[in-house]
Amino acid sequence: MTPHDTPKEDFVYQFAASQEFGGGGKAICFAAQVSGLYRSTDGGVTWHSAFTSLKLQETMPALAVAIPPNAEEAPGVFVGVNGGILRSWDNGRNWESTLLPSPPPVVSALTISPNFAQDGILFAGTLEDGVLCSSDRGRRWAAWNFGLLDLNILCLAISPAFATDETLYAGTQSGLFRSTNGGRAWREVHLPGGFEAVLSLAISPDFAKDATLFAGTENHGLRRSRDGGQTWERVGKSVFAEPVNAILLDPEYPRKPNSLVLQGSVLFASQDGGETWKLWREAKLAGKDITAVYAPTGFGPRARVLVGFADGIVQRI
Amino acid sequence: MRAGQTGRSLKLHSLTDRAPNTMTKHDKEWQTPGVVFQPRVYQGVQKGINTIVNAIRPTLGPIHRMVAIEKLSKVERPELLDEGAVIARRIIQLPNREEDMGAMFFRQALWKMYETVGDGTATAAVMFQVIYNEGLRCIVAGGNAMRLRQYLDEASQVILNELKDLVTHLQGKEHLARLAETICYDPSLAKMLGEIFDNIGEYGRLEIRSGRSRELERDYIEGMYWDGGLFSRAMMQDAALGKAQLENASVLISDLEIKEPQALLPVLDLAVRADFKTLLLVASSISERAISVFLTKPNCEKIQVVAVKVPAFDTITRSEALEDLALLTGGRAFLQAAGDTLNSVRVEDLGQARRAWADSSNFGIIGGKGNPRQLRQHIARLRAGLPKVEDAKDRKRLQERIGKLIGGSAILWVGDNTPLAVETRKALAERTSEAMRGAIRDGVLPGGGIALLACQPAIRNKMRSAKDADERAAYNILLKALEAPFQTILANAGFDPEKVLGQITLAGSRFGFDVVRGRVADMAQSGIYDAASVVKAAVFSAIHGATLALTIDVLVHRKDPPSAHHTT
Repeated sequence: MTPHDTPKEDFVYQFAASQEFGGGGKAICFAAQVSGLYRSTDGGVTWHSAFTSLKLQETMPALAVAIPPNAEEAPGVFVGVNGGILRSWDNGRNWESTLLPSPPPVVSALTISPNFAQDGILFAGTLEDGVLCSSDRGRRWAAWNFGLLDLNILCLAISPAFATDETLYAGTQSGLFRSTNGGRAWREVHLPGGFEAVLSLAISPDFAKDATLFAGTENHGLRRSRDGGQTWERVGKSVFAEPVNAILLDPEYPRKPNSLVLQGSVLFASQDGGETWKLWREAKLAGKDITAVYAPTGFGPRARVLVGFADGIVQRI
Repeated sequence: MRAGQTGRSLKLHSLTDRAPNTMTKHDKEWQTPGVVFQPRVYQGVQKGINTIVNAIRPTLGPIHRMVAIEKLSKVERPELLDEGAVIARRIIQLPNREEDMGAMFFRQALWKMYETVGDGTATAAVMFQVIYNEGLRCIVAGGNAMRLRQYLDEASQVILNELKDLVTHLQGKEHLARLAETICYDPSLAKMLGEIFDNIGEYGRLEIRSGRSRELERDYIEGMYWDGGLFSRAMMQDAALGKAQLENASVLISDLEIKEPQALLPVLDLAVRADFKTLLLVASSISERAISVFLTKPNCEKIQVVAVKVPAFDTITRSEALEDLALLTGGRAFLQAAGDTLNSVRVEDLGQARRAWADSSNFGIIGGKGNPRQLRQHIARLRAGLPKVEDAKDRKRLQERIGKLIGGSAILWVGDNTPLAVETRKALAERTSEAMRGAIRDGVLPGGGIALLACQPAIRNKMRSAKDADERAAYNILLKALEAPFQTILANAGFDPEKVLGQITLAGSRFGFDVVRGRVADMAQSGIYDAASVVKAAVFSAIHGATLALTIDVLVHRKDPPSAHHTT
């Protein structure tokens, strides 16, 4: 465990890291926390505030952070904060604010087009203004909320084949919505549990072929759809009774049907497509209040994983 | 508007230029009561139906002909029509009384279908004609009309089930544009409607207005908006913009009449104490003196108030709008009818919205802070009720209500070279968008009559197990009726239906004939679709209408039949 310069009362929302993270190199990582954004230049071993250049008078919570998938071609770091989105072109040293519709919203989720280097598209989920879209690398943002009946966005998931299928999903306080035209219009996706909050989403890396999507709900556990959201089945019914806060799929899913789920503050893993579940790294994480997890290269014994806790501590496992 | 009131409806005999007290033999016939029996009933009704179908038939398909309707005034140009139901509606009387009754029976069936789905009346007409004529032939040869009707009605369900299996759902603006083109045959309008419906969906609100130029244009409006503009232009922060805008607005929803300035003070005091900086006030009326309270500088500095008229003129629409506003913003509606006054307003009664705006004729809400679950449940209830509403006006009102609630609206500005052309194109856009809503909601079928042809094997299967001559006759009739739209489309486009039928049979089940390009084509790949709801409605109307007509055995004439000008 590596302590960093954050206050004791803190909370880790989300992580993002450069592509080197899984390779053992000096990856740049970011942790979005209540006390602000933190940056690590050694793959998550040591952490320092990434907002020092902003010379803030008071704490600015960072609720979401995202890095483009192919950062060599299109570098950038995007951070969702209370009242806007910041972007950096020098790995988080300096920041510039972006133009959001007024009044500025709380940005709760960020997701970037897999084809960002070419299309420059990214989406921001907000707590009151629905989904904002930028197609100029985050400079200007506009709301496109046709059919989005709930503007309280809790999570976003974008299709790996977004360049062709233009599909993304938004989990809201009252359920799930899907857009199949690049976020211009949204349609309700009916989950069997009714109008309940969708807290987390995970989309299969092979979504174009398997159309598989996982949704973590507030009261009805984990659900899986194998047809892009038309029909749903409950996964791990006996295990997941509390809110499902995060879902991670193996990068080689479905070939390797491994998944990691953060239920409440406890991590569960399955290696058989959700048939059986067991506590993940129980020995190391027992009794700890987990709030965020990041595992871009999978969560096998040798994989590097970042885990964030309710007290603001980050641990690289 | 009723047909006679348009001034465009047509009697097929002249009643003009006649001395007031002279009565012709024809007039006497029309004023004589009587009872008509067979075979005159069948002969008359058949002629009446055939007259109308023959007037509509040339309009079926993408390469169709037009029907010109004579105007009452000699200085006006004849009206050119290509819509079956409208053509039928223009024919308000036939010279012969029996024929007239047949024609009017058929006309009403078509109009009802047109009001329900907005398209497909020419398809229904040609099928109706085949079923009626062939059915009549069967009855004249000794068949039983009631049994025939029973078999035909039962077989209609087989066809509807077959069509259900063929339904696919369209996504994406290109597919939707192709669908629109199969309805309106106007490529630029179709392209625009494809984009609009891709965004607003089947329930979305679309206003079609006369254009500001000769081109088609569209605007998208974020959030929900209602009729009901500002009470005073002085409330606009920027008069050049012509709009008042509020951020983090509190919303007072009411249909109250506010005359005295004092009546507003409790609300203003409440809002200021709650630290609200802006207030959207919805009311039935506000006196000038009351408005002046908002606009005094000290009050403006404390709170920005924008007062707008309560939406809608009629009571039902108004109460629905107030209910929706309350749900959307999480506020409570204060109603005159309930005896509410502004004295009883509490902070929690005020709705909240991220943004609100108002101009001289509308006001809108963006990001209402009502409970999203309750809002979605409310919308789900309204949607579930939509198919059950039979009255076209009520359905349209409900459709608009849902459209307002789902967030985001579109305005299509229709331009063209002349005012008449603009009106015609607007009507076309209305009709196309109505059919598109049905197509998006219920899916599409292969177009060009191919979906109906694909139902023939199921009917042939039924034929194999037919138990009597009436049943066999019913299936034979349906086999011909299912072919009729395809044959008519090809004949109208100048192709030989029999020859083409052979070609597409060889090509396979997905194939049909693209009459525009004059070649056999994969209908889905070529984007040749028909809205499933339209095709199903056409089948249903044709079979049930024709079978009902076949059972008419006696006609009764009144002494004074209703005036043609009062017939709809």
